[in-house]
Amino acid sequence: MSIEVDHISYTYMAHTSLENKALEDVSFRVDKGEFVALIGHTGSGKSTLAEHLNGLLHPDEGCVRVDGVDLKGKDRAAKEARGKVGMVFQYPEHQLFAETIYEDIAFGPRNQGKSPEEVDAAVRSAMAFVDLDYDVFASRSPFQLSGGQMRRVAIAGVVAMEPDYLIMDEPSAGLDPVSRDNIFSQLMKIFHKRQMGVILITHSMEEAAQYADRLLVMSGGKLHLDGPARDIFTHDRETLEKLSMDVPESVKLADELRQQGLSLKGTPLTEAELIRAIERAKGWKAC
Amino acid sequence: MLTEITLGQYYPGESVVHHLDPRTKILGVLFYMVMVFLANSPLSYGLLIAFLIAATALAKLPPGLLLKSIKPLWIIILLTLVLHFFTDPGEVLWHWKVFTITKEGIIMGIKMSLRLVLLLLVSSLMTFTTSPIVLTDGIESLLRPFKRVGVPAHELAMMMTIALRFIPTLLEETDRIMKAQMSRGADFSSGNIVQRAKNLLPILIPLFISSFRRADELALAMEARCYHGGEGRTRMHELVYQKRDGAAAFILVLLFAVLVFLRWGMPA
Amino acid sequence: MEPIIEARHLSHTYVDGQNQEMTALKDINLSIMPGEFIAIIGTNGSGKSTLARHFNALLTPTEGKCLVGGLDTSVEANLWPVRQTVGMVFQNPDNQIVAAIVEEDVAFGLENIGVPGPEIRPRVEAALETVGMTAYAKHAPHRLSGGQKQRIAIAGVLALEPKCIVFDEPTAMLDPKGRKDIVETVLKLNKEKQITIIYITHKMEEAILADRIIAMNQGHIEMEGTPKEVFTQVDRIRKLGLECPLAAEVANALQKGGHKLPPILTHEELCQALCPSK
Repeated sequence: MSIEVDHISYTYMAHTSLENKALEDVSFRVDKGEFVALIGHTGSGKSTLAEHLNGLLHPDEGCVRVDGVDLKGKDRAAKEARGKVGMVFQYPEHQLFAETIYEDIAFGPRNQGKSPEEVDAAVRSAMAFVDLDYDVFASRSPFQLSGGQMRRVAIAGVVAMEPDYLIMDEPSAGLDPVSRDNIFSQLMKIFHKRQMGVILITHSMEEAAQYADRLLVMSGGKLHLDGPARDIFTHDRETLEKLSMDVPESVKLADELRQQGLSLKGTPLTEAELIRAIERAKGWKAC
Repeated sequence: MLTEITLGQYYPGESVVHHLDPRTKILGVLFYMVMVFLANSPLSYGLLIAFLIAATALAKLPPGLLLKSIKPLWIIILLTLVLHFFTDPGEVLWHWKVFTITKEGIIMGIKMSLRLVLLLLVSSLMTFTTSPIVLTDGIESLLRPFKRVGVPAHELAMMMTIALRFIPTLLEETDRIMKAQMSRGADFSSGNIVQRAKNLLPILIPLFISSFRRADELALAMEARCYHGGEGRTRMHELVYQKRDGAAAFILVLLFAVLVFLRWGMPA
Repeated sequence: MEPIIEARHLSHTYVDGQNQEMTALKDINLSIMPGEFIAIIGTNGSGKSTLARHFNALLTPTEGKCLVGGLDTSVEANLWPVRQTVGMVFQNPDNQIVAAIVEEDVAFGLENIGVPGPEIRPRVEAALETVGMTAYAKHAPHRLSGGQKQRIAIAGVLALEPKCIVFDEPTAMLDPKGRKDIVETVLKLNKEKQITIIYITHKMEEAILADRIIAMNQGHIEMEGTPKEVFTQVDRIRKLGLECPLAAEVANALQKGGHKLPPILTHEELCQALCPSK
């Protein structure tokens, strides 16, 4: 069970003066139950890539398969396969439209042809995942909510479609630290419970390091690195630097401490790991 | 993709026609239109066509470009031609069942469709050589004297400026919302007309809401930058007539005089 | 020296959609001196943007006073002098650019205050130069990146030669490169042009650059002080829903583990505290 991206290339506005090669021979595979971060600068091709993963765009060359089915097809199987991939765009609250939160979240499941009972169950479960109390919020207008709450409604609208794979484009953009942490803890809850394959598109190395098991690093339309986060932040520093990409703050701070003579071990990907590493290095706590 | 639509049909260039004052071009086009209706002989139409060809050459526009602007209206032009062919009374040239073609019909048909083509071409010549922004400045400046009789010249120009600025942004936004709703299984291409219109709501409502939000924020930003209507406002580019505008006006007036002479001055 | 902005017992209440009276700000007292770089931090809804909008009379206090350069913002006649003294850059770069050509947009403010045509161009050019966007003078804004658009918006404010600029979460919608460009531009305006900066953000890595930080919570000022004074109180900041620099958070955790450390804000300070031999 996986999304397979098989040697795909894509060019915007081919054969015109504005021709722009957005993707060049990209291949990778994301299994169900995996949490992957897709990182790269603006214009690296990561958004174009994301739109290939649920069939909004089709590659010029190569193919994308979901659970073995090529998304390019026009048959039922291809349509079903596209439906297995949920996509949360940037600023998803900008696509809310219905009169009530319930109706908005129910839009996706209804389009999937679910029965009213199934829709109701899907909406309730999705709202629970994003911590919106059904009795309080279901009949309210989505437009009276705060920015962070609106985003949670929008995410629930995708989660309610019960996708096997979930792509999220910068779900924390513009949110303050509390709302950001809320969104991520809810996302991790859904991820663990449903065992989906998650692809998180982000600019933040801290988010990537904290949540993802594996990183995909894009630049100039090509996939440059694909591997476990810790390996990449330990062994591929040169490549990251060449692509003018950062490492998480905790990795930088660990480097500085090492330079000052502290015998710190490993690559601490998060604050908690860094604290433990320091304590160990200083002999402050028994391992 | 929606975002690839270019606004207007401005063809950037540095020719003398491009650099003419927009007011000269707007008034010139209006004047030319009057002349199109004044012309009544093959010679006067020839002169009008020659003027257009000369102006296009001066503007250094690719010849095919201007002709393309006829495309959206070719059905109307053809219809004009055909209707006149078959319906005008006069000397019968050809007859079959209910269809009759007359000599007067042919002449009238050619004349009317030629007029349409000329009107279309001359206004395209203006939009090809004048950016929408400059055109807005020209319209504002021309309307300013009518402010006293209640024409909101500045407000109209401001609206056009903001529209020009935000149309590409809103097209991008539409594209984004469409993709998002398609990912949620929205279907925009099946069902009957009522169903299809209803299916558009998930795009239109977010688009409206976002436009209102943008309008709100823009109004605030404009206010913060001391905007308070057209009163006491200055412009970075004040429009100033140049020698070339005088020359253009002279040529047009000359053409007008010749056409007037051809119509009324010639002994029958 | 006279403060450039002063809030005296400033409160702001409004009536919301359900006809309920809401207090956005209560009893704010604040003075900002010329040339200062102030960061106002707080979560969404803490009142930080509402406060900032008082500084150039987009909002006026419902109680108390807001003075800009000694002028009361509630007095109608002071409106335009106040707005020329304090410029404002907003969050969404798209929604503050008026014209379809970059230089026309930068000229917009100058045209509004009636600067004679020939004097506009040099000021527009100077403003574009300061933000490093001279090469884009004739471009259409919608083709630019978010960071570039935001620099155009800054140029548009800068052309009015304000003494103070309020930045309302200017980097919230930008990518890391755009964010870096904006932060650099802001620092340049403060250090080289001596423009007073009021910078609203919930990003600690940007707030830390300020001379003074004001932390807002539920419409009032919760904390005030230098970055070091504010961000070394990790637990209080966390309680406000914000974060502290990594070094401060790490030091805080180590301290809780029972190890004495001096107040720490930066990487260097943590290195020094943990590796005193060097």
